[in-house]
Amino acid sequence: MANNYGNRPSISPTTIVVAAVYLLVSVIGINWFTTFIPGIFPPQASAESKSVDELFFILMIVGGIVFFLIQGMLLISVIAFRARGGDTSDGPTYHGNMALEIVWTIIPALVVVFLAVVSFNVWSQNSAPKANVNMVNGASVPINVIGARYAWTHTYETGRLTPNGDPIIINSGANLHTYIGQNVDLSLQTQDVIHSYWVPAMRVKQDLLPGDPRQGGRPTELRFTPVRIEGVAYPTEYPIVCAELCGDGHGRMRGAVIVYEDEAQFLEQFFEPAIHAILNPPADPVLRGEVEIQNYICNSCHVLDSLGWTGLTGPPLNGIAERAGERVPGQSAEEYIANSIWNSGAFRVPGYDQQMAAFGPDVVDAANVMTPEQLYSIVAYLCTIGEQSDCDMENSVTAIPDAIRTVFSMEVDITFGMSDDAATDDGASGAGAVEEAAESNTQDESA
Amino acid sequence: MTTYTERAEKQKTSDQRAAAIRLKNNRLGMNIFQVSWIMAFVALIVVNWQLRFNYSQWPPAGVPPFDLILPSVATLALLISSALVVQALKILRRGLAAAFLVKWRLAIGLGALFLAVIVYEFLNVSDAAMATQYGNTFRLMTGFHFVHALAILAIMCRVYQEANQGKYSGDEHDSWAVEGAAKLWYFVTFAWMLFYLVLYWIR
Amino acid sequence: MATIAVPLGGAQARQEVQAVRRPALSEYLRWSVDHKIIGVQYGVTSLLFFIIGGALAMGIRLELWTPELDLMVSGAAYNSLFTMHGTIMIFLFIIPMWAAYGNFVVPLQLGAKDMAFPWLNAFAFWLIPPAGVVMLLGYFVSPAEAGWTSYPPLSTLFSGDGQTLWALGAHLLGLSSILGSINFIVTILNMRPPEMTIWRMPLLCWAVLATSIIAVMATPFLAGALTLLLLDRMTGTTFFDAAGGGDVLLWQNIFWFYSHPAVYIMVLPGMGVLSEVLSIHSRKPVFGYRMVGLSSMAIAIVGFTVWAHHMFTSLQPELRIPFMITTMIIAVPTGIKMFSWLGTIWGGKIRFTSAMLFALGFMSMFVIGGITGVMLAALPFDIHVHDTYFVVSHFHFVLFGGSVFAIYAALYHWFPKITGRMMDETLGRIHFVFTYLGFLITFFPMHIVGMLGMPRRVAVYDPAFTDFNRLISFAAFVLGFSTFIVLYNIVRSYFHGPIASANPWRALTLEWATTSPPPPTNFHDDPIPYEDPYGYGTEAASAYIEAIDMAFDRRDPAPSGAD
Ligand code: HEA
Ligand code: HEA
Ligand code: CUA
Ligand SMILES: [Cu+2]
Repeated sequence: MANNYGNRPSISPTTIVVAAVYLLVSVIGINWFTTFIPGIFPPQASAESKSVDELFFILMIVGGIVFFLIQGMLLISVIAFRARGGDTSDGPTYHGNMALEIVWTIIPALVVVFLAVVSFNVWSQNSAPKANVNMVNGASVPINVIGARYAWTHTYETGRLTPNGDPIIINSGANLHTYIGQNVDLSLQTQDVIHSYWVPAMRVKQDLLPGDPRQGGRPTELRFTPVRIEGVAYPTEYPIVCAELCGDGHGRMRGAVIVYEDEAQFLEQFFEPAIHAILNPPADPVLRGEVEIQNYICNSCHVLDSLGWTGLTGPPLNGIAERAGERVPGQSAEEYIANSIWNSGAFRVPGYDQQMAAFGPDVVDAANVMTPEQLYSIVAYLCTIGEQSDCDMENSVTAIPDAIRTVFSMEVDITFGMSDDAATDDGASGAGAVEEAAESNTQDESA
Repeated sequence: MTTYTERAEKQKTSDQRAAAIRLKNNRLGMNIFQVSWIMAFVALIVVNWQLRFNYSQWPPAGVPPFDLILPSVATLALLISSALVVQALKILRRGLAAAFLVKWRLAIGLGALFLAVIVYEFLNVSDAAMATQYGNTFRLMTGFHFVHALAILAIMCRVYQEANQGKYSGDEHDSWAVEGAAKLWYFVTFAWMLFYLVLYWIR
Repeated sequence: MATIAVPLGGAQARQEVQAVRRPALSEYLRWSVDHKIIGVQYGVTSLLFFIIGGALAMGIRLELWTPELDLMVSGAAYNSLFTMHGTIMIFLFIIPMWAAYGNFVVPLQLGAKDMAFPWLNAFAFWLIPPAGVVMLLGYFVSPAEAGWTSYPPLSTLFSGDGQTLWALGAHLLGLSSILGSINFIVTILNMRPPEMTIWRMPLLCWAVLATSIIAVMATPFLAGALTLLLLDRMTGTTFFDAAGGGDVLLWQNIFWFYSHPAVYIMVLPGMGVLSEVLSIHSRKPVFGYRMVGLSSMAIAIVGFTVWAHHMFTSLQPELRIPFMITTMIIAVPTGIKMFSWLGTIWGGKIRFTSAMLFALGFMSMFVIGGITGVMLAALPFDIHVHDTYFVVSHFHFVLFGGSVFAIYAALYHWFPKITGRMMDETLGRIHFVFTYLGFLITFFPMHIVGMLGMPRRVAVYDPAFTDFNRLISFAAFVLGFSTFIVLYNIVRSYFHGPIASANPWRALTLEWATTSPPPPTNFHDDPIPYEDPYGYGTEAASAYIEAIDMAFDRRDPAPSGAD
């Protein structure tokens, strides 16, 4: 048997050629890799996304070098150092080389220090608090996000008041509305388990952590600033995804960030109409109810197809009017629905836990306050949800206030009349219909 | 024809060095077990610490702090018990079986006293404390410690029984069970000292 | 020239050796304190769980064939599917599988007759089947659906009773792992022959030592976390319930304080295997032996300081940076290993045995997982890809491309020693090709879907990702199929494989200095280890190998693997 003791591994000319070719291939390869980068990211829709992508570019180059280095050495080894036919001898007895070992300890150490510094810079840039957040019309409008199994809810605290002195809070459901250049700063809260608010196009993600409700929960913060992407027609939409396993509907817990071209477009298409709708509720109780119910966070727990709600924590509201009359013996459909909202603990739907807050007359929490008129209109609206209704729809003007009176022994002071020319066109829906109804309402009052 | 396992057994017992190696192994094994399992107690200390930060003060507002006197007496009893175990082991090595039994019995007695106090404390956490993590973590930690202490006290009792029958000579190979029980008891004492500090003193 | 130590001699010894036969199958089915039998018990049990876990993975991929929910009745059913897949693969396959090799090989490499505590060893093993049954039972009661990480409050307030059984099962497995590890540490530190200093110990022993140190220090934290989980679920305490003053991050901290070191529990023994296989099959000493041994320890130690890199999106922002830095540092000791292995095969005489192929496969796949690991450590990038398929891809590259490849390498390498039969090398190579390609095509595209916006743990996904997912699923089925090749190979070789000689790979470590399979007491006399466990290429080494062959009447030339 050949004695190779003390021999150093020899490098043949072929090996050098192979190595040189390989080096060339890797340079081209890494270059080629990086051309794919834009294709493997979602659009760069925020200022943050730019720096994250740049960081990835650096990671990709460093990773590419390590990748090609290791794979290349492997490839060369298996080609150059394979035992050729019938060779049963051993290799050289070579135990190591201190200098080499130091080199391959120091260089990776320097590389990771470099990566850490670059990452740190990007991080401090992206996470730094910004001045002038959530600016709308020159004022900062706090935006709250509520996560619940399995729906997102966004609310805007406009800071304005209704003529009655109630704060105006816009609820835009699963969608966040913002505009290019707005420094968005979200306050995130969960109602149940951990969720994670992820907007891939913005490269931001933050978990929502359950906190002690007595101490105001455990709000977390998320910041980003949308930027313009050339060639995109605004307003445009980017998905919001829930990234933390939260249960059965985790995969369906989605929403959208709607980015407007500028503040003017944002005000015109989203903000002002929304406020207008709140200030000018439609005269028809059903239409008004449709608006009112969206100002509460019912969507985070209930399914209601006509409004696009997907919450699964509470019983679905689809077809509620068909069932309401049979739930509690002796309670009419109107009574049942009213009771379930104002006094939600009164009857628990089988299969669900008692989790819903009561919205009744004694509520102090501003977000849950519901006046008798609001209750009336919401009941009227829910009475229309279903193929046929158990409610006394013909006579809802008296039946529903009567119902409220019987279950809560409370007078319902109806300040909105049933005008004949109020828009009652069922087909119309969305902002347009709301707008229309609001207008007719104003006319009524002035008349 | 003997089976594979049977042959294995027979050949192993014939080994001369076996006893010495076994003792060495037992000692090292015991040390590693102690270092390892103390981490479970450390984990509970971490629990206690992290939960504290959810309160602006500790004990939380409106919760009276635990009474110190009784637990301190119990801690003292446990420490003395441990010291007695140290002495008992030394005495046994010198071959004084009767004196060993006296010390060991006393150690068990003090250990039992300690446990009785802990049970009393466990059962008498105020409702106000139980409404907060102050009481919750207290029961968690004392309960967890209690389970270990009780099991090891049982081992000490068993050792006492066997020593009473004259099973252990002063030779360290024969009396590993005594040494092992003693080391487990030190472990209980050490773990309790950590808990005692965290539960009663660090506010 | 060193003296040529002949490990065994004497005609009488030789005759006894010839009489050695394999233990009857029935001996594997009952309580036994022999480390070799326990090793096989561990191995077969883990393999069974691998098949179950793999079949569940096939279920995952089948469900993900379309963007809608179709195979599964609900999202929750899908959740419990991957929960079981992850848990089985980690707690019931990889970790016990390393206990299998550790048990069989470590005492032999040390020239010991058994583990330090044979009874404890058997006990640790017998905790596993009941734990597995409890866990599987949970799947059929009302399954756990909180993922293998079981974050509360999902796992405390919502998941079904199966979650309780899950926690009980994990508890038992943790206990088994601690007991097993105490045993390994004592065995390795105390039972070496006098000639074998710690710096002459085979590198597998180094790796198992480092692994066991991690296991004994970290696993008690898992026990603590699971205790709290069980209490919250069963006795109404509120450790994780914010409404009662509890804290959900408490679980994440304690769980990851165990589970990050646990990922090194899963890969370090594989790295030990690699050092053995690469050196033996390329006939060259391990390059930089000491650094390879020490880097295992370095990984073990640094591994304790990085846990919160799993919590970048939930941790307080100020604490994120320190964990990013510690995490990146891990790349350095791992890099030492990678480069030393390259140095080992460089200039050697590489035999392309199946074991060697899988070891090379490990290097080429693990490095991808390592690179993506460093990318994940880069905080701003992790914020984007956390809890997406990028992470799924990362950990399959390290767990499958790393640990499982090493498990396969170890299987082909030590199968002759364990069973006394050689495995079929041709089938082994076919297995390698299918596994390597199937694996790469399954998991590489996952990086891209993850970056594009597909979160993990979803049965319903954006239809834009359908094509990617079909490709992944298709490749996963190929990967699943490749598993049958090795299963067939194992069964066939066990009964019909060519008889293996004592030292078919011409290795220097002590496990080869006895018959295949070894007799009940492993060695007849106390064997004398060769002065350098990897000193190939010298006359002394060749003479030592000759001596082994002489002592055991080498019956057949081993397949050289040379081409
Ligand atoms: C065997 C298991 C294993 C191993 C070895 C690793 C190794 C590493 N892992 Fe991985 N990891 C997991 C299993 C593993 N991981 C699992 C299961 C999860 C997900 C858990 C879950 O959420 O379900 C996870 C998740 C995970 C995350 C969290 C992702 C997230 O959820 O957002 C992070 C983040 O930092 C991370 C980082 C790393 C790093 C830096 C390494 C390093 O150790 C890698 C080091 C290796 C190399 C770097 C390659 C070789 C080195 C060189 C060739 C030197 C030169 C290189 C450079 C200079 C870069 N891992
Ligand atoms: C060692 C660990 C390990 C191993 C080996 C694997 C192996 C595989 N894993 Fe797994 N995986 C995890 C550990 C592991 N996984 C973990 C920890 C998670 C996280 C869970 C969580 O989120 O909580 C996970 C999650 C996970 C997901 C993400 C689920 C999700 O987030 O929604 C996916 C998706 O593709 C996946 C796929 C696979 C596949 C295709 C294999 C294949 O490699 C499997 C190949 C092997 C076989 C197939 C065995 C042989 C099969 C049979 C004998 C049956 C044959 C049947 C057919 C061919 C139909 N795994
Ligand atoms: Cu909410 Cu996932
Ligand atoms: Cu980790």
